[in-house]
Amino acid sequence: MADTRIESSLQAGLRKSNFQLLLATATWVGSTAIMSFGPSRFWDFDTTVTFLAIAANLIAGGFMLYSFFRHLKNMDELQRQTHLEAMALTLGITMVLTVIYGALPQANVLADAQPANVLFVIGISYILSVTTLWLRRTSE
Amino acid sequence: MKNRLKVLRADRDWTQADLADRLQVTRQTINAIEKGKYDPSLPLAFKLAKLFGLPIEEIFSPDTN
Repeated sequence: MADTRIESSLQAGLRKSNFQLLLATATWVGSTAIMSFGPSRFWDFDTTVTFLAIAANLIAGGFMLYSFFRHLKNMDELQRQTHLEAMALTLGITMVLTVIYGALPQANVLADAQPANVLFVIGISYILSVTTLWLRRTSE
Repeated sequence: MKNRLKVLRADRDWTQADLADRLQVTRQTINAIEKGKYDPSLPLAFKLAKLFGLPIEEIFSPDTN
């Protein structure tokens, strides 16, 4: 009886923080879209509104970070270690690939480097790192 | 690090999921510890010792290789 309660508390905690992280990420993505496209499409480059949109994006980003740390705290220690190692790997991979990507326009291989593309490198590296590390440790 | 987790668990007729529930960790964590793919933190090792009623050194021993 007590054991079932303990299991539920671990899973319930993860489920709750997972949902909060999803909500925070969606809010941040939405506020990023408003900050990026709002000046040209909604408020005709009004600087005051643009600064308000930037402030809203910063707050949403802070909420997302807070939610992520809360989610990390709710994980069990193997999950947490896997994610922390994946972050370290992601940092290294992103650093190496960003330097190469930044050098491509100077070498006339690419016309223009878009900083936003780094987000794709971060996302893909993180997903691959978490999956690989988790499977390495938990494969039966 | 080597450990006797699988034996101790089997002695009590617990599944990996039973032990995981008692320790508030995932079943995968228990599996990884048993297979030597993951060394638990000191707090988790103490929890295990308390649960089995044994000193930590009777559950875990250094890998001499």
